[in-house]
Formats: sequence, structure tokens, C-alpha cells
Amino acid sequence: MNAPTLQSFSPVQPDETRPVDLALHHAVSQFYFREARLQNGRQARQWLETMVDADIHYWLPILEDRFAKDPRPQPTPAEPAVYNDSHDDLRKRIERLETGLVWMEDPPSRVRFLVTNIEAYHTAEPDLIGTFCNVHVYRNRRQRDETHHFYGREDVLRRGADGQLRLLRRKIVLDQRVVLDKNLYMFL
Amino acid sequence: MVKVNELVDVAHGVQSKRVFWDQEVYEQELERVFGRCWLFLTHESLIPNFGDFVTAYMGEDKVIVVRQKDGEIKAFLNSCTHRGNQVCHADSGNAKAFTCSYHGWSFGADGSLAALPLEQSAYYGKFDKAGAGLREVAKVDSYRGFVFGCFDAAAPSLPDYLGEMGWYLDTWMDGTGGAELVGPPMKSILRCNWKVPAENFIGDGYHVGWTHAAAIKVLGGPLSGLAGNAEIPFDDAGLQVTSRHGHGFGVIWDGLGLIHDDPAYREYAYANLPALTEKMGPWRAKLYTGHWNAGIFPNCSYLYGTNTFKVWNPRGPNEIEVWTWTLVEKAMSPELKAEVVKQAIHSFGTAGTLESDDGENMETCTWSNRGPQTRKGVMNSQMGQINDGEHPELPGIIGKNFIGETSYRGFYRFWAEMMQAENWDAVRANDATWKDALIKGAAEAKAAERAA
Ligand code: FES
Ligand SMILES: [Fe+2]
Repeated sequence: MNAPTLQSFSPVQPDETRPVDLALHHAVSQFYFREARLQNGRQARQWLETMVDADIHYWLPILEDRFAKDPRPQPTPAEPAVYNDSHDDLRKRIERLETGLVWMEDPPSRVRFLVTNIEAYHTAEPDLIGTFCNVHVYRNRRQRDETHHFYGREDVLRRGADGQLRLLRRKIVLDQRVVLDKNLYMFL
Repeated sequence: MVKVNELVDVAHGVQSKRVFWDQEVYEQELERVFGRCWLFLTHESLIPNFGDFVTAYMGEDKVIVVRQKDGEIKAFLNSCTHRGNQVCHADSGNAKAFTCSYHGWSFGADGSLAALPLEQSAYYGKFDKAGAGLREVAKVDSYRGFVFGCFDAAAPSLPDYLGEMGWYLDTWMDGTGGAELVGPPMKSILRCNWKVPAENFIGDGYHVGWTHAAAIKVLGGPLSGLAGNAEIPFDDAGLQVTSRHGHGFGVIWDGLGLIHDDPAYREYAYANLPALTEKMGPWRAKLYTGHWNAGIFPNCSYLYGTNTFKVWNPRGPNEIEVWTWTLVEKAMSPELKAEVVKQAIHSFGTAGTLESDDGENMETCTWSNRGPQTRKGVMNSQMGQINDGEHPELPGIIGKNFIGETSYRGFYRFWAEMMQAENWDAVRANDATWKDALIKGAAEAKAAERAA
């Protein structure tokens, strides 16, 4: 089967019999909405520093169109991937945006993230929460150049001693084989 | 028929902006360029076993590339011989048969029509299956594992088509035991004419310091001096090459691995250098540790030394589908291959730090020409022309600077030749004289400078 699972990427499994309580679910939702707002507002540095764990693995695998009966396993992070980033890799992407030399973002593009279908579950690790959500991102640039991307996220959030949530694992499942855009240089 | 001599002035290195826009130019390209040149399909290592296949484009035509029982590779139009439906919708896989989803005709890995539903009752057992196989691509061959196809049976062989470029390619395709591609390819779109990125990769050292200023500044290291064109290396920093059939590249000496944020690749390459020098000689040793921005005419481009490998599939005159693999040497350890893949994609994948700098330029180089007054203009590729010429040891026409437009001029020289030629015999008739216009242009540029 082709359906990607979190297992292929992270040993941490959301336990679907143990959804988080209302208060924690609210905190998770607020986490995603704040993240979307920081990205909308082009505050990637703040996102990285306040919402992303130092051990982040940020992954967007290449999912081919394969026949349903194709026996080959799903891709792992050992294979080519559009994003396969550590904290350091993400930081360098943000530093590039901060050079003031990114002509393609001058004038800046407009980006809006809509986050929905948020599910959050406990895992075997008390401080880790497994989540699923769907995202629609709209990017508008250069007067009337516009693109839409739809994707699923399979995340692991870490709850620190301070009670703050931080992004530890992100698997992005993009619902396009051919990316219908010139690039995906956005924090999805 | 398009008046090609109104579009390209080879000796003066000038092209009409219409080459990026006109529908009639595009239609003629599909026939005369994509219908007659060798086009990159895949690498042998991606389809190692009988029945392994990938789907690909050859121009606008969809094809299936399949490993045969005897180890050969064949390619077929991905279109059913019954009513034309697409036969295979997967990117890759292993199949002993391709069964059409419309009425169920089934084609073997060799393209032959193996079975059709109701053959006895509806066709009375009289259907001529032998004549109804998938249309086979006239020529498929691989050069050191890199698989190309050509629709024109009268085309030169693949080694002859690569020509002098083969001597250069052998530097890394043969020097240390071969190269291969790591896939599956990333795919994305650019709303640009296919020639914009093709000319950029083949000959544009000029844009690196400016377009990619942000990315190379963050990278640090020796390249960061280029950021914002602060410190452009000239003269002995590299050279450019163009060849008989439009293939070419620009090389910056000692540039291998500098866009990668990891020293392991450079360490690997420099450790190979003594043996490689022994095998390939001093020029190719120098090339081996260089960084190449390069193209195989028409629409295959790569950066050796950054190791991204791309095909620009045309989808109309102003859109392309970009397919991106990573180039590695077979002799690299699995760990090094994985690191090279990661670094190549970090810079030139779909979300790449340098990839993302280029797209905007390529799109507006194309779409500006929607304006008819704009389209009447011409584009200039004269940089470094004064230094173009033959070289005692290096094949092709050589430009003496890293930053120059020699390979642009050579790309459009051959493009114009293919667009004008009735057939490959007419192209072959120019084999002895293909350098003349480029050399004449260089001589005129020198004379003009002396006069001034
Ligand atoms: S179109 Fe393929 S079987 Fe009819
Ligand atoms: Fe570029």
C-alpha cells in the first residue's frame, strides 16, 4: 500500500485510543495557529527560535505515482527528499531570507496558511504528542502569480519542562506528484 | 516555416526574443529539435531488472522506458494503439505487461500486443496483433549508463551525437568507475520557455554572483566572495566549451563541492585525483575537481560538482516540467552518496536554496515577451566572444573565461542549425564548417576592439 505512515519516519506512534484532553488539544491548536501566523507574517526566525525543538527532523518525502500492487516500501529519510532538514539546515534557510539579497522575495510574496483537521494523541513517551493536521497554503506574488498547496502533516510535538510545545518531527505529505509551483521554499 | 535566420545571428551572438514565446517556433522545435535529437530518459541503474520501467517525456510525447529480457532497454510511446489512451500511469515500477485501462489491450514489456479482450468473439480471431504493438522509439542507447532516446532513425549514433562532449563527460562518467543518478526525480513546474534554463545551465556563470547572492553568502567558504559580485574571478579561474551538437559547459577550477556544506565530497574527489590523472591525463584531472554548469542539447542540464541533474520537459512554449535527480559516482560509499544527495537537493531540489533564486528570472524572461513590442527586441550573448577559439588540447570551441557566454552562442548556433536543416544529412554536411561562424564572430570582435 502507498499510504504513508508515521512509522516509516519516526518510532514515536500516536496512540489513537488516547486522544489528548480538551485543554491540551486547545494548546495544540493554538500552537498551530500561532505557527501559521508567524509564517504568514514572515517571522520565520521567531518560529524557529520559539516553536522548533533543537532535535527537529523536518521531512518532505518524494512520493511517486506507483501501481497499487507495487511491493516497494515507502521512502525513508535515507532516500532523496525535498526537505530532509535538521535545525541547522532550517536555520540556514532562514539566514538566506535575512540577507536582504533574495530578489525573488523583493517585493515580498504573500502567504497564508489554513490549518485544519487537527488530531492529537498521547504516545508511549509522556512528553511527546503525536498529531495529524491538514494544511492549505496560498502564495500570491508578483501581482497575480498565485499557487495553492494542500498537504497533510504528521508531527510529533514535545512538551518541555516549561509546559511549552515544540516541533520535534514533521512529515509533510504533499498531495501533488508534480509540484505545481516553481519551488517550495516555504516552511510548510 | 519559421525564418530561423531572423531569429538567431550566430556570428554576433544575438537572438530574437521570439525564440522564448512564439507558438510556431515551438511547434517547429517539437518536430525538428525534439523529434530528431537524442533526449535524456533515465539512468540504467534505475531500471536494473527485466520489466523495470520508468515513464518519461520526449518533448511533449510520453514514453515508457523498459528493461528487456535480454538486458537491452527499449522505449515506447505511452499511447495505446487501439484508441490512443495512455497505457501506463505510474512513474516507475516493474511490469511484465502494460494493460490499457480503456478496453483492456495488454502489451508486453517488449511493446508487442500480447492480448486483447474478446479476441475470438468480437474480432473472430482474425485481428492482426503483430501490427498493433506500441510504437517503439527508433533509437535507444546508453552512454556510460545514461540512457537516451531518439525518434529519428537517421540520427547519428549516441556517441557521435555527444561528439567532443564525450571526451569531457568521460572525466566523471568513466574516470573513477562510473556515475549514476539517484531518484526518484523531483518534479515541479516553471512557467518559462524550456530554453531559458537550458541556456542558463549551459553557459551562465555570470548570474551566479548576483542571482544567487543570498544563498552563496550564507554558504560561506571560497564562493562567498562572489556574493553580490563583490569579487569575481576572471582569467585563469575557468573556461567555457561548446561543441558540434550544441552541448557545452562552463567550468570553474577547483569549484567541486563548494556549494555543498560538507567537506566529505571534496575529500573524496581529491583522494581520487592521482589515479584519475594517471588514467585521464592532466586536463581532465583539472576538470574533475572543477565545478561545471553544463548542458546536453537540447533539454538536459546538470551541475557537476554540485551534482544536480535535470531535464526541462517542454509543456507548451511557456511552461516546463522540471525533473531533478542527483548525480553520484558509483565508487562513493553509501554514506557519501546519501550526503551528496542531501546537499544537492538542499541547493537545487524543489525547495533548494539556489533553485529558488532562479525560477522568477526564468519565468519573466519568458512572459515579458507576451508584449508584442517587447518581443520585437533581441537578446545579447556576446560576453567573452573576443576570447573564443580553438585550443591545442581541448576539443570544441573554447572560451577563455569562466564568466562568458561561449556556450550560449554554441547552443543557439546548433539550435538554429537543427531548426533549419531538412534532415540529419543536411546537418552532417556542416560537420567540417560548424566552427566557422563562431570563429568569424570572435575575429570580428577582435578587429572591432583594435579599431577602437
Ligand atoms: S484505447 Fe486502449 S484498449 Fe482501447
Ligand atoms: Fe542559477
